[in-house]
Amino acid sequence: MADLNKWSLLALAVLAAVLLALPQVVTNSFAVDIFIRILLFSFIGVAWNLMGGYAKQLSLGHAAYFGLGAYTSTIMQIDFNISPWIGMIAGGVVAMLASLPIGWLCFRLRGPYFTIATIATAQALMLVFLKFRDFAWGAEGTTLPNLGSAPLMMQFETKASYYYVVLGLLAVGLLITYRIEKSWIGYYLVAIGEDEDAAEAIGVNAPRIKRDIYMISAFLTALAGTFYTQYIYFIDPATAFSFNISIEAALVSIVGGIGTLWGPVIGTVLLETTSALLQSWLGSSTGGIQLTVYALILMAVILWRPTGLMGMLNEMLQRPAHHEKPARARSVL
Amino acid sequence: MSDALVIAGLNKRFGGLRAVQDVSFTVKQSETVALIGPNGAGKTTSFHLITGFHHADSGSVKAFGREIVGLKPHDVCALGLARTFQVAKPFGAMTVLANVMTGAFLRDRHVAAARETAREAIEFVGLSAREQTRAKDLTTIDQRRLEMARALATQPKILLLDEVMAGLNPSEIDQAVALVGKLSQAGLTIVIVEHVMRAIMAVARHIVVLDHGQKIAEGAPKEIVENPEVIRAYLGSGYVHHLAGGSHA
Repeated sequence: MADLNKWSLLALAVLAAVLLALPQVVTNSFAVDIFIRILLFSFIGVAWNLMGGYAKQLSLGHAAYFGLGAYTSTIMQIDFNISPWIGMIAGGVVAMLASLPIGWLCFRLRGPYFTIATIATAQALMLVFLKFRDFAWGAEGTTLPNLGSAPLMMQFETKASYYYVVLGLLAVGLLITYRIEKSWIGYYLVAIGEDEDAAEAIGVNAPRIKRDIYMISAFLTALAGTFYTQYIYFIDPATAFSFNISIEAALVSIVGGIGTLWGPVIGTVLLETTSALLQSWLGSSTGGIQLTVYALILMAVILWRPTGLMGMLNEMLQRPAHHEKPARARSVL
Repeated sequence: MSDALVIAGLNKRFGGLRAVQDVSFTVKQSETVALIGPNGAGKTTSFHLITGFHHADSGSVKAFGREIVGLKPHDVCALGLARTFQVAKPFGAMTVLANVMTGAFLRDRHVAAARETAREAIEFVGLSAREQTRAKDLTTIDQRRLEMARALATQPKILLLDEVMAGLNPSEIDQAVALVGKLSQAGLTIVIVEHVMRAIMAVARHIVVLDHGQKIAEGAPKEIVENPEVIRAYLGSGYVHHLAGGSHA
């Protein structure tokens, strides 16, 4: 943390205070629900960004790890009565292990082929959980037993408690990203994203770095899966392995600025807020109009600001001290 | 002087094309060897074979006595062989300093130490004024300098330079020649692929000539330019005359 300057620290402290106070001040449960969604998707975006942003490995299959995390903790809770707190870590480990063969297969491919392969793995996993009813309730899924207030089983009476859990997850994700970005690994990741051959030529063991970061990314994404299932008390293959999760993870990062620490957070705030506002303004009028407007906003961002909103901010605030870090990655589109 | 790099019977086929056929040559420690020949002669392919980017069909490459055929590019680099690319491959979104630091991390994972090493390498190639420039904004010669600095930051013993002078104007070529001379004086063993004959005559002590994937001659620069086979295949009959006139091929 040594190179965080005074002002960044102050800004961070203010931000933390605001975020901690938020559910105490705003108690409207609809609003808190939106905050939770924003934090959750920021967290998923942060996990995706390690691999997809810094190293530009455009995965659209992170739902695989979200789903594995969700199912691992749920199966452990329902079948063995093990706390989802433990299940969450176990889910992370399962996702990490699953990322090894998946990565081994997918990383043989580059560019769009890699992306397609990742989509296929997530879809294949969804089918596994749809077809094998014996251990995972098949297509109809299951609801989680409502235990009332049971913090040790990750069940809370107030939404504010869920808010703090996911805020904690996001903080962990950001801290890990920050540490990676500032270390040699961050440089290696950006180098791989820029030109893998050139990186290999200067001694970067690209396959190994990609494998390791993919494992971390999968682990974090799985934690989000457990949290989400606990939050909505329900799991089925279509939700847990939803393609939307994969898209959203990439989208918030791309809109916010891939390969930047705060990009996924800023992207999520923008997209989720826009989506929620459009829903409440236009949702009751012509069906689907809010999605159309949402899509137009997305296209505008990608056309005019291909480096994402962080790219725009950085250009405005170009400060010499900031040049030295591996500059943000460029557009992937 | 001991042998830094010993290449023996190297072969590589791409389908029906024999890109490199039974090529052998030896580079002594601290010597600068040039690899020349017409386009498609197998020079860059030889570089790819030596540095692990292509797998040789047969043959052997020994660096300081150690067999390196079959190793991955990053392992080859870790053993002390660094290369540049014919078409410069800077990490465009990174600054010059970050590019070179990425090379320096091979020997020391600490950011401060890597920055130190990187700054030395950047100064060596004369790019200090551009330290904070984004690599994609550099001019052609500066991108070549950056590639060399990045390779140097890995602290190689052998440096393989693939057409670092292509596309440079005459005064830039002089600068590049001076830089290669400086690298050689620093004790590096250098293998250079180049078309600019004026530069080759200035830097190389030994020249290997390839044509259609085969070695057709090797020797001291003076012998090579008078070799009838080399003149036929590559230099052209006007070359010796040209050289006397001072222009470059």
